[in-house]
Amino acid sequence: MTTGLLTTSVGSFPKSPYLLQARNRAAQGKMDQKELHELELKATKEWIQFQEELGIDILVDGEQYRGDMVTYFAEEMEGFGISGLVRSYGNRYYRKPVATGPVARKSAITVDMYKYSQGLTSRPVKGMLTGPYTMVDWSFNEYYPTREAFVMAMAEVVHQEAADLEKAGAKYIQIDEPAVSTRPDEMELAARAMAVVTKGLSAFTITHICYGDFASVFDKLIAIPVDQFDLEMANSGYDLLDLLKGKNFTKTLAMGVVDVHNHAIESLEEVKASIRRGLEALPAERLYIDPDCGLKTRTVEEAKDKMRVIAQAVKEVKAELRIE
Amino acid sequence: MITTIVNNYPKIPSLSGGPNIRRSMAQLDEGRITLDDLHQVQDEATKDAISEQVKAGVELVTDGQIRWDDGQTYIASKLNGFSISGLIRYFDSNTYYRQPVVDGKISWREPILVKDYLFARAASERPVKVALTGPYTLAALSEDTYYHDKRALVNALAAVLNQEAKALAEAGAEFIQFDEPSILKAPADFPIVKEAMSVLTAGVNAKLALYTYFGEAGELAQQLFSLPFQVFGLDFVMGPNNYAALKSFPGDKDLAMGIVDARNTKLETVDEIVAAVKKAKEHVSLDRLYLNPSCGLEFLPRRNAYDKLVRLTEGAKRALEVLV
Repeated sequence: MTTGLLTTSVGSFPKSPYLLQARNRAAQGKMDQKELHELELKATKEWIQFQEELGIDILVDGEQYRGDMVTYFAEEMEGFGISGLVRSYGNRYYRKPVATGPVARKSAITVDMYKYSQGLTSRPVKGMLTGPYTMVDWSFNEYYPTREAFVMAMAEVVHQEAADLEKAGAKYIQIDEPAVSTRPDEMELAARAMAVVTKGLSAFTITHICYGDFASVFDKLIAIPVDQFDLEMANSGYDLLDLLKGKNFTKTLAMGVVDVHNHAIESLEEVKASIRRGLEALPAERLYIDPDCGLKTRTVEEAKDKMRVIAQAVKEVKAELRIE
Repeated sequence: MITTIVNNYPKIPSLSGGPNIRRSMAQLDEGRITLDDLHQVQDEATKDAISEQVKAGVELVTDGQIRWDDGQTYIASKLNGFSISGLIRYFDSNTYYRQPVVDGKISWREPILVKDYLFARAASERPVKVALTGPYTLAALSEDTYYHDKRALVNALAAVLNQEAKALAEAGAEFIQFDEPSILKAPADFPIVKEAMSVLTAGVNAKLALYTYFGEAGELAQQLFSLPFQVFGLDFVMGPNNYAALKSFPGDKDLAMGIVDARNTKLETVDEIVAAVKKAKEHVSLDRLYLNPSCGLEFLPRRNAYDKLVRLTEGAKRALEVLV
């Protein structure tokens, strides 16, 4: 692995039509879970191969077996029920977890899939977890007396899972906290919970946070105890980079350089320009390049094209600047 | 004491059966039904939303805003001067709306809600109120590429919503409510709000309400109560300190209390509702109270929304027995 401008992705990749159909059929009871799981493994393998062929440095398994990043974990835990349908926007509905008792793991949740995908490649695959703050923020709470109590209980559970991933060999563990951006005033709580999650881990820890109004809480944001921040930049005009420049920021940054909410594929020149902007703020060793967010809402071809333009842009910038 | 809901009600039934807008919208997308068919299903779903409110014991109902995609676009798309853009998060919730963009001079084209009001009135055995997003919040949640001046934009919106309110009052609407959650987020803008509210309410012959939610009025409370409305709605769930604001509540105005949490499935107890009313009674007489959920009910699955309303009316009934 090279040491500068490493490439990675945020977590999810889109599901191919065959897998979407299979998931529908399984939901209707027309396909058994074992058959569905075989297809999930096949899809995972395809995405691992794609990333390898593209030369991506740190891989993800693509989350082909997950529906929603919060419900997936809640369904595997004690203390959670699942609600009826609530509307997210337009004609999109989803089910929310409902905390009805103390939250706890029954057994390791993500370790088997981690081992499977890591077994397919010699490159490192990230362990992917949803952070305690986001688990709580996107759930109903019928049990805990306060949000804080719920968040801190959840942090213990996510820590156990992270420790199990590390034991299974994960060198990189990402703990996603997209909900943090919706309530900057609770940044401190999110940071305290993250300290519980990452305590004692030797793996390289990452947190992904979506764009928000961070200027006023930026010091608290960068104090969250992880090794790397993975931040959306393409969708927000890269203004977070300017904030970083003025700070004593010693961690690493994974910088999103393609917008996951847009069908259009960014041009090679556009992405190269973004990478150069990143290099004005941070040295190549501490700057990683990836998409803004999970690519699962794009089509398979759009997602692949967005990854291709990232890989090509990084390659060209490294050649121009003689970065190894 | 009158029980009511704030604005929206979940669109789809919890159990299978009954008009299902989600299914119909999908069928419309696939070209299997026509737009007229969808409208018919929306009519049926509106009747269901009203009859569920009545069945739960709610005394002042809304049409559930079943036809609305969200609080902004349903209004903005029927005004001149707006186009509709991409998805954006709604406050700190995990729901999204399409952002209206002001790209021209705003003007009123035709009645926006009159037809819906007349439909609901004909379908309801109880009085119907009309709730719509107010000028300040509509401006705050839109992108302005035309006026480049908040005061001018808010005033322009106040003028067109005044026309709408007059049209509603002429059609017989006796209770018109403006939802203004955004004014809590920018107390410094109060002079803009104050000016706009006199434009908004001028010459409208109906009982007018100003609702805030998602937080507390704080320092703003006293100024809010001076605005030209008869009813003021406060959220006592996300703004527990709003009880302190009641000390200055004017004796000739009505208070609408958001006292069951419309964003969490946990059911309040009858005793909690009685205790909330008792606290308010120290400053506001019972015949000047409205009781409602803390905000729109679409954050909940349909069944939980209904259960909340049943509990609200039980609590109201008990409060009358205990406190009168």
